[in-house]
Amino acid sequence: MLDAAVRRALADAVGAENVISDPVRLRTYECDGLTGFRQVPALVVLPRDAEAVAAAVRACHEHAVPFVARGAGTGLSGGAVPVADGVVISLQRLRRIVEIDPVDRRAVVQPGVTNLDITRAAAPYGLYYAPDPSSQQVCTIGGNVAENSGGAHCLKYGFTTNHVLALKVVLPDGSMVTLGGDTGEQLGPDLRGVFLGSEGTLGIACEITLRLLRAPETVRTLLADFPSVRAAGEVVSGIVGAGIVPAAVEMMDALAIEAAEKAVHAGYTLDTPAALVVELDGPAAECAEQFEQVKAICERHGCTRLHIASDSAERARIWKGRKAAFAAVGWISPDYIVQDGVVPRTRLAEVLDRIGEMGREAGLRVANVFHAGDGNLHPLVLFDDDAGEAERAEELSRSIAELCVELGGSLSGEHGIGTDKACSMPRMFGEVDLEVMGRLRSAFDPRQLCNPGKLLPTPRLCGERPGPYRPHPLEEAGVIERL
Amino acid sequence: MTTSKTSGRETTGPVLQPADLREAHEALAGSVGQVHVRGGGTADGWADALRPAPVTVDTTRLTGILAYNPADMTVAVRAGTPLADLQRELAGNRQRVAFDAARVRRGATVGGLIATADSGPLALAYGSLRDLVIGATLVLADGTIARTGGHVIKNVAGYDLAKVTHGSYGALGLLAEVVLRLHPVPAASVTVRLPCSLAAAAERAAELASTSLEPVAVEWYGSGVTEGHLLVRLEGTAEGTEARARAVAELLGPGAFTVRGDEADAAWREHADLVDQTGNGAEAAVLRIGCRPSRLPGVLARIDPPGTGVTAGLLTGIATVTVPAEPAGVAVAHTAVTAAGGTSVLRHHPATAELPAWGQAPSAVAVLRALKKELDPDTRLAPGRFGAWFTGNTGGEGAR
Ligand SMILES: Cc1cc2nc3c(=O)[nH]c(=O)nc-3n(C[C@H](O)[C@H](O)[C@H](O)COP(=O)(O)OP(=O)(O)OC[C@H]3O[C@@H](n4cnc5c(N)ncnc54)[C@H](O)[C@@H]3O)c2cc1C
Repeated sequence: MLDAAVRRALADAVGAENVISDPVRLRTYECDGLTGFRQVPALVVLPRDAEAVAAAVRACHEHAVPFVARGAGTGLSGGAVPVADGVVISLQRLRRIVEIDPVDRRAVVQPGVTNLDITRAAAPYGLYYAPDPSSQQVCTIGGNVAENSGGAHCLKYGFTTNHVLALKVVLPDGSMVTLGGDTGEQLGPDLRGVFLGSEGTLGIACEITLRLLRAPETVRTLLADFPSVRAAGEVVSGIVGAGIVPAAVEMMDALAIEAAEKAVHAGYTLDTPAALVVELDGPAAECAEQFEQVKAICERHGCTRLHIASDSAERARIWKGRKAAFAAVGWISPDYIVQDGVVPRTRLAEVLDRIGEMGREAGLRVANVFHAGDGNLHPLVLFDDDAGEAERAEELSRSIAELCVELGGSLSGEHGIGTDKACSMPRMFGEVDLEVMGRLRSAFDPRQLCNPGKLLPTPRLCGERPGPYRPHPLEEAGVIERL
Repeated sequence: MTTSKTSGRETTGPVLQPADLREAHEALAGSVGQVHVRGGGTADGWADALRPAPVTVDTTRLTGILAYNPADMTVAVRAGTPLADLQRELAGNRQRVAFDAARVRRGATVGGLIATADSGPLALAYGSLRDLVIGATLVLADGTIARTGGHVIKNVAGYDLAKVTHGSYGALGLLAEVVLRLHPVPAASVTVRLPCSLAAAAERAAELASTSLEPVAVEWYGSGVTEGHLLVRLEGTAEGTEARARAVAELLGPGAFTVRGDEADAAWREHADLVDQTGNGAEAAVLRIGCRPSRLPGVLARIDPPGTGVTAGLLTGIATVTVPAEPAGVAVAHTAVTAAGGTSVLRHHPATAELPAWGQAPSAVAVLRALKKELDPDTRLAPGRFGAWFTGNTGGEGAR
């Protein structure tokens, strides 16, 4: 429970009409896109401008009340889950596009603006904002900054961090600072960079300056079927080996295709073991030249069907199938978990074989949709809660993420650690690494009030002894060492 | 570990030369007092002058590739590896670190380039090393070894500690190992060159930015701001690059011509020579500037460099300008940049002149101070580099 003084201070900070305390309405904020973790907050505030955000944070700081920033709540790692007896600071009312500067090709926006609205505002100038998470119609740029979100086109264009020039941030003590600047040239350590992907634990971004890119002259997209996931994987290596940097390379397996076809009829081939979506963009002549190379590589690896989008409507249809795949598994399974892990691209076939085996052992189906170009997997673990499979599914999903680490990859490529994977962090990092990360956090938030309990393992969350650290494969091979 | 008695410029004690992570750990855990971390020594005189320290950790033996799998397009190296050496290795597989700061040719190390947040013309297309480092191993002042990031290009697990080493001038820790993202070496590279003034170049660059010709570098260089050259580099497939170069030459208008191979290299060398001026003697100092690209010509005109070297990244907003080494003039230059919302810092400058090295300190200097306290509580590392940032009195705190 929050005492009356805190409630009053927060109402003063943001205006009483912008405070939610009704238990029914508070329930709307109890979880994010990962609905397994739930906690009803004590209070929600919806400040209308950056100054009100700062005032709310100051009030929390003065009264030692934990707070959690929240964008659209589409996060998939439990990052925006409220803290018991804490406050949620929603950025939904800071939705102004402050400036689109077509000359210097940048946008200044408030954190509650959706990802897609930035591109919409830039489009009249022939510009766009590059990172494109599948959730871009709803997720906020503030959430993107906090998660360092990626998207299908990040292979060529980079992640959120590569597109943020500056951030106006309310620090956990309520003071306001600017991280980064007007150019990539920076004075002193890159605090902007460390804030990106910090999952709401270092402060609240209140204004964001982004780079905008000129829309490419041409875009060419193909959909190709392969007799095996391994063959499709070899095509990806072949493309990269030829020195081509595609805008996107996405892979789907038979189960994911089945689901997507049931949901949106995008024209994928049912029963093909694997399909690749390859997109190239850039200057027309070069795009055409490289597109021919890609086609030849596909054919060399036994492609069974190759479909080239003839216009933007067809391209949109191909992408619709790919982007619908997550939600579409609802058509073939009552429940599912979306996992997010990364392996070095050269180990894709191996990891998919292992995932298949693990699924068979657990008696559960796993559908695979992923960003093949950067080795970012999104295995979808299918299960039936009513049949009591939930726990087994979670166990399998966690083992898959940890397998990625074992193969020299990462626990997360874009969805973050949040509440979900904090206890798996010791699989990827040693105790000292995590302790040093904790020191960085303390530099920003000495009182540990800003989204506490997320990202780093805590005894409360994980028990006194979190899982053992396993050495990196390069360490085991004696290539790198840990002391 | 090799220990040599030859002291560095401001050093009074031993120079430790670790050759691997273990020795790097021992160098810091086993020594006492303040420490200079030194790589290739190519930026020795940049930013504020180092105060003398009893220990120097020299990374020039901390070299070599640790892991390189061309198919994954990532490489792990010891941080003292000169970038030029690494690029030579990678070129065998037609790969590169897409990074071309001028001082690479003088033997700058991977770690040193990260620590100074340096960048070159290719930053327009690829950003700086903060965009290309995907993992790192740091040794903190007390010898603590901390890993961050990993070996894959996409990874959001944990705080990205490598970012705070970017621009840290060795004040937060010693970079011992670095993992970098690689890009393919393009099949062709063509440069279009136009003799013109800075103002004319800026107009052309703005036009270029509104086309889809996708230049990877757009730089002007000259003496003062009236006479110089615009260089536009295009990279890609052989035919496509030639076609775009023709389109760029047409857009730039009469006087523009295309250069390739050695001729192009020579043009870019002239540019790099101005960025990387070291032999200016006691009279000149080099200022590095960043501001909104459209404001850059105005800022440079206000600084009004008297016929000395200027380079301007017309679409990145990053410039280098040589100014007289006297305090009032340098202060005026900083002020002009700050007024345009930009950033400025001195690079090479005579050790004898008392010049203000940093422009306005970042507003988050209090966080930097807290971070310094967390990572280097005894303030051992790089004493003096950031002037008064870590001790207060910077005037940079609070809202901006
Ligand atoms: C169907 C679906 C598809 C998705 N596809 C992708 C994808 O392709 N790529 C991808 O990367 N992600 C994807 N996601 C995950 C999610 O959309 C992203 O993580 C997104 O960035 C979250 O934004 P949000 O506004 O919903 O943030 P929230 O979920 O509200 O919050 C996420 C985190 O950000 C913090 N936060 C929010 N706003 C701020 C702020 N202003 N300052 C500081 N911290 C803040 C919160 O505290 C929390 O820790 C997908 C999710 C769904 C449901």
